[in-house]
Amino acid sequence: MKCKRWIVIGAMLLGVPLLAQGKPLTVTGIRGVTFGAVLPGVPRVVLRTDPANSGQFDIKGPKSNVLLSFVLPLTMTGPAGAQMPLIFGASDGGFSQTQSIGSQVGFDPKQPFTATLSNSGRGSVFLGATANPATNQRAGGYTGTIILNVTVLP
Amino acid sequence: MRSITKLSLVVAALVLTGPALQAQTNNASITATASVQTPINVVGAQQLSFGNVFPGVNKTVAATDLSNAGRFDVTGQASTPVTLSFTLPATLSSGGNTMPIVSFTGVYALLATQVGGFLFAPAAGANPTLSGTGALFVWVGAQVQPATNQVAGVYTASVTMTVVY
Repeated sequence: MKCKRWIVIGAMLLGVPLLAQGKPLTVTGIRGVTFGAVLPGVPRVVLRTDPANSGQFDIKGPKSNVLLSFVLPLTMTGPAGAQMPLIFGASDGGFSQTQSIGSQVGFDPKQPFTATLSNSGRGSVFLGATANPATNQRAGGYTGTIILNVTVLP
Repeated sequence: MRSITKLSLVVAALVLTGPALQAQTNNASITATASVQTPINVVGAQQLSFGNVFPGVNKTVAATDLSNAGRFDVTGQASTPVTLSFTLPATLSSGGNTMPIVSFTGVYALLATQVGGFLFAPAAGANPTLSGTGALFVWVGAQVQPATNQVAGVYTASVTMTVVY
């Protein structure tokens, strides 16, 4: 009786970690969106296929569907709090199961997007954008933070 | 024994449903960065001045006339191309009277002395490059054509230059 009880408890304790042992989900920011030198009054476009300037996140996790959703800034902030509009187009997001910038499926980063990780549980998200400086945009460095939330779908 | 079985079933159910109820979520951030260059600034530095004009006698001010040609001073990002465009008047006005102004000419140069300058037609615009210090000087000349019965008075009009990268 006592022995059986310990067997049951032992099995339960072992069972929890075994069932929860799916690959952990990790999301890594690889590269920021880089506009470089921007002239006042001249919009600067960075394509999601730009290997040097597009943003990139890498995802590792279980082989399954994941829900991608961004928190996107409306502006970048510069010297003395100056703001510069930042625009994300309907096809500025890209997902690649092979983690190749040359093989992406485009999506609207302003909307949640369901993607499927590869058999090895990997994928990459690429992001383009447009900086829209005013003609009297204050000179200096501007930055904005882009967050990608990833949720494993059941 | 029966209580152990029940407990086992409850715990097993929790174990089996637990992971399904807990969705895995994670996030990461990247930064968007840009370096905004110097904005363009344009100043009307000198008026286009025809001085005294006599009825029936055309008068021309050349763009190379440093004393009387109109001058715009431009500053902006060093060594960067810009586009010049103009809004040119067809007449000068004095009250209800007008006097034709025609044949606009232009010069742009990197120095205020006009050394090394280039002639251009303001009506067509131009695409110069700012100097290594981000400067550009633009002069505008034209001809006025007073009629023989031109009413005396001071005649004026605006010449507007627009500069964009």
